[in-house]
Amino acid sequence: MTQKIEKVVAQVGGIILGKERQIRLAIACLLARGHLLIEDVPGVGKTMLAHALAASLGLNFQRIQFTSDLLPADIIGVSIYSRDTGSFQFHTGPIFSQVVLADEVNRATPKAQSALLEAMEEHQVTTEGETRRLPEPFFVIATQNPSYQIGTFPLPESQLDRFLMRIHLGYPDNEAERALLQGQDRRDLLEGLKPCMAAQELAALQQHALRIHASGALLDYVQELVNHTRRTADYINGLSPRAALAVLHAARAWALMSGRSHVVPEDVQAVLPGVVGHRLVPAGEVGRVNGADVVAHLIKQVAIP
Amino acid sequence: MYAALKNQLYNWLFQLRGPETGVVVLVQRRVFILPTRQGIAFAAVLLMMLTGSINYSLGLGFVLTFLLGAMAINGMLYTFRNLANLRVTGGRALPVFAGDTAKFTVHLENGSDTDRHAVGLTRDRKEAAFVDVPARATAPASIGIPAARRGLLRPGRLTLFTRFPLGLYHSWAYLQLDMQCLVYPRPAAPGMPLPPAASSVGAGIERGRGQEDFSGLRQYHAGDSPRHIAWKVAARDQGLFTKQFSGRTETELWLDWALLPASLDPEERLSQLTRWVLDAHAAGLSFGLRLPGKTVGMAAGEAQRERCLETLALFEAAS
Amino acid sequence: MTDPKQAIALRHLLLLTLSLTMVAAPHAARLPWWLVALAAVLAAWRAYLAYARLRLPSRWLLPLIVITATLGVYFHYRTIFGRDAGVALLVAMLGLKLLETRSLRDAMLLIFLGYFLVITNFFYSQTILTALYMLACIWMITAVMVDLHHAHAEPPFRAQLHTAGALLAKSVPLMLVLFLLFPRVPGPLWGIPRDAFAGVSGLSDTMTPGSLSELALSDAVAFRVKFTSSIPETRHLYWRGPVMWDFDGRSWSVPRFLYGTPRFTTGSRPIDYEVTLEPHNKRWLFALDLPGKVPPRAQASSDYQLYSHEPVITRLRYEMTSYLEASYGMEEGRYPIRRALALPEGFNPRTLELAGTLRAKFPDDRALVGEVLGMFRNENFFYTLTPPLLGENPVDEFLFSTRRGFCEHYASAFAVLMRAAGIPARIVTGYQGGEVNQLGDYLIVRQADAHAWTEVWFKDRGWVRVDPTAAVSPLRVESGISAAVPLTDPLPLLVRGDFEFLRQMLLTWDLMANSWNQWVLGYTPERQRQFLAKVGIDDATWQTLAAILFCVTGLIVAVLAVLTLRQLRTRVHDPVKIAYLRFCSKLRHKGLPRDPAEGPVDYANRLERLRPDLSPAVAAITGLYISLRYGTEADVTGLRELRRRIRQFSA
Repeated sequence: MTQKIEKVVAQVGGIILGKERQIRLAIACLLARGHLLIEDVPGVGKTMLAHALAASLGLNFQRIQFTSDLLPADIIGVSIYSRDTGSFQFHTGPIFSQVVLADEVNRATPKAQSALLEAMEEHQVTTEGETRRLPEPFFVIATQNPSYQIGTFPLPESQLDRFLMRIHLGYPDNEAERALLQGQDRRDLLEGLKPCMAAQELAALQQHALRIHASGALLDYVQELVNHTRRTADYINGLSPRAALAVLHAARAWALMSGRSHVVPEDVQAVLPGVVGHRLVPAGEVGRVNGADVVAHLIKQVAIP
Repeated sequence: MYAALKNQLYNWLFQLRGPETGVVVLVQRRVFILPTRQGIAFAAVLLMMLTGSINYSLGLGFVLTFLLGAMAINGMLYTFRNLANLRVTGGRALPVFAGDTAKFTVHLENGSDTDRHAVGLTRDRKEAAFVDVPARATAPASIGIPAARRGLLRPGRLTLFTRFPLGLYHSWAYLQLDMQCLVYPRPAAPGMPLPPAASSVGAGIERGRGQEDFSGLRQYHAGDSPRHIAWKVAARDQGLFTKQFSGRTETELWLDWALLPASLDPEERLSQLTRWVLDAHAAGLSFGLRLPGKTVGMAAGEAQRERCLETLALFEAAS
Repeated sequence: MTDPKQAIALRHLLLLTLSLTMVAAPHAARLPWWLVALAAVLAAWRAYLAYARLRLPSRWLLPLIVITATLGVYFHYRTIFGRDAGVALLVAMLGLKLLETRSLRDAMLLIFLGYFLVITNFFYSQTILTALYMLACIWMITAVMVDLHHAHAEPPFRAQLHTAGALLAKSVPLMLVLFLLFPRVPGPLWGIPRDAFAGVSGLSDTMTPGSLSELALSDAVAFRVKFTSSIPETRHLYWRGPVMWDFDGRSWSVPRFLYGTPRFTTGSRPIDYEVTLEPHNKRWLFALDLPGKVPPRAQASSDYQLYSHEPVITRLRYEMTSYLEASYGMEEGRYPIRRALALPEGFNPRTLELAGTLRAKFPDDRALVGEVLGMFRNENFFYTLTPPLLGENPVDEFLFSTRRGFCEHYASAFAVLMRAAGIPARIVTGYQGGEVNQLGDYLIVRQADAHAWTEVWFKDRGWVRVDPTAAVSPLRVESGISAAVPLTDPLPLLVRGDFEFLRQMLLTWDLMANSWNQWVLGYTPERQRQFLAKVGIDDATWQTLAAILFCVTGLIVAVLAVLTLRQLRTRVHDPVKIAYLRFCSKLRHKGLPRDPAEGPVDYANRLERLRPDLSPAVAAITGLYISLRYGTEADVTGLRELRRRIRQFSA
């Protein structure tokens, strides 16, 4: 099982160079049945990552480019009156697919955003009184431009919470950039990707992740972390129980990927920046530190019980 | 020179440093202890009992005196133990308006197997908040500090102290936690009406419910305007739906520093703007805030209210 | 409730009242009834005010009550100083203070007064039972003190009792050290009020018919004796006390002035022992006949009475040496001999007549003595605790009509007969016999053992002890008073031997009481010196003592501090974690500490980089630790293996 995951990592890593950690986090997010938010400037390979992941996992893939005039119907689908049958017929939108890339999600109006987020949350779509299930697995990768860019609607904190993880890709390092420049066109490479595992295998892995053992001592650690954020003045608000659950799920997936049958504190520490970085707002006049630093500070502050 | 030396000594003795972030552990070096007035009185009583025992050769008198003396010494350890090794974390303080009382919370964590009782938190030694911290538990202690002026209020040096269990000793530790409370300007008395909303200015996509373009249907929620119910759909027995529209807001309400009479001094203006922000938020309006050199964009809701109030709180008038 | 000025709650007030009542209760029997009533009314009033949430009485009322109470005490005791009046005033003030108690500060003052009231109880009684009761009182008061210092929500009072109990229990070692080593100075530091030692029983300096038999009803302990070697036979145990020379026809008395120095020649081996004398407020010290030395701070008179320099008002311990066989008074002067022959005119004519007859019949002194003893033995004389009352000529009445008497009757009659016959005689009072406490191997001499006998003077032998009681009732001197008096006579239970089980219990109790007296109540400066000499500190000045005390106290406090503060460490309960922490601490000592926020895997990786040589051991331990602490299997063998590896691990 783990080898297959490693193969996926290797294959995606061949396209997105020098970002193995981010790739692993993305896969962990998928294994934990969460959704992923990638925040970065345009052009660092966000779309490519989503694409490569979908292709390597053998999942069908749809991309929705969010724009300011995007309507919920453009995401979910729309009922159109059919003259032949004399009734409304539902035409499914791009959301009905296993991997959905919601590109530049903060360019759309809050209404369109919330349509996506509702679907993410409930794994189903309700429109015109009918509920339609979304395919399984269902994995949304949303990308977001840094909020200081003009003409954006940054996702409110309550909605950021819907994403299991938020990661930054960041610029490639020198070596990776050189390899990128020397290498083939990425799009061609993408074409050549072959699925490394079947959809059932992925579902089995997701099931397996749920069964990874988290001992009392580990749960103590997670609780200590969460309690600490609730107590200190370092953050505007503490982590929610949902965040605590998210940490645990992600840590389980990370432990699975590391080939362990139980979670160790390092798993928690590994996924913590991704899982809580977007949920913790540092206090102080202005955000003194960015997400990762906030979490690094948190990890340092809390002793492992 | 002398004062500086004294200050240095004081700082060294009481381990005073700058504000500390994160968890502060009250290591033994940080906890101090001295007898209280009652403690000194008790010593005097013991001395009397001792002389009485000597004078009357009271064997049991000696036993009693020494038992109580030993108890007093033990009590010192108990009092010290009641405070030492607590882990202190400065908590959040919710924003308040100037003139109100800011509530600062300090979380006391007791990792030991011994309960801590009657631990007091005080700033001025006049008023104190007492908490019990059971073994392996955390308890919050809150004190109120009057917020006189807008801006950031820091509690300064706090004292954590205890006299438990005998009251013969006062044990204390100084805390200088990196805590702050945002103090909004005091809202002016209601009266001045909101400024007239300007008609919208062209460019930019504004947030909020529009009234113009139909954008879709969603399920009816209680409170939706009946004018927007999709009656046609309802007529087909498909349930209630609300028509949704997108587009620009009809009006833009700018709460502008410049709108206020120049006769008001800056603080009064800020007070009035604060009042307006509250009124506009209460009315559910979309509004923006303009201060010299600072603008908060048009928006509505809780977040907007807080953003505007924070801007007003931290605004520094160019003098 | 930790602010000194904070108003006192009803709960605290009731607890205070309860504990103070506990302490003051033993005084109630000793105080005038109106004072007890006053204190009770004040306490009840205060409790009612607190219960009904009413205001306290105005301030002018209090001085009024103070003055009234002081006057009342003055009229009752005729003084406001001294022990009894002082205690009475203290109780009254306690009631008043309770009435005006408003704040925590007042409550603390009351607590201190309560502690002080405990010590006043010791003026009257220092028995083990009193000590236990007072310990309970101290426990209670301390618990109330703890209760007072809880913030808002007090846990149930049981918890406070627990805290106070632990506090007091932990204070015991330090208390013992202070008690044993605190430099003792001999008291008193200032004059003790006269009433401080009233009401103790014992022998007096006069003897009238009935005075000893009265004493025989008391089972109070007179003194205890610890012999260095075996205890002599009961019939030899004559404890010499006041010696009486002067007879006024009815009662005997001790002469005021005694001249001369005692001299004696020994006829047997010395017997060494130690007497612990209960206070009797007189100057006599008791010793086995015949005392061979004089204890410190005491003197001996020419008739072998031992006098302390001052009245015995505290329990006194002294070492003694005695000789069972000794001759003394061989060269008695003219004056004492004349005194030992003096008889008042006009009393007991029949006795004088009898003496004249006997003298004529027996010119030899010894034969005369033998004849009189024979008369006591063979004629119809009875030894009883309840003799009939005697009139004007008690000796006549006793010898010729009643013939029933206690030892003083026989001694008195015998001495009068001797004097009338021209043989110098005197009366010796003291104690005879004593009860051996096998448990502690010491002798208890009670007031019931009080005895009177005579000494007659022979020219060639000096003074010779003659005990006429022994002639009447040989059992008295051989087996003690209980065997000698008829069963119908009222004797204290302890002296009779009927209830063997009870007796054993009481003997055990007396053993405890004796050790109590020896070590707690009688721990005097001398005793302290002895104790210190025993542990190897000779001639301790108060400076050395203070230094030793300081060091030992410091040591104990340090140990207590370590024990107390150790509880503060965050306790780890998981044995796996404990083992792992030991592993970490081994590495910490080698300068490779683990950050508290560093996970085991990260730590192992870092160690591998820094100390590749340790790698296998570290990897094995880390692997085991992770699987035990974070894995699914929790087995004992794994833990044992982990512990073994960590034990063997050395960086």
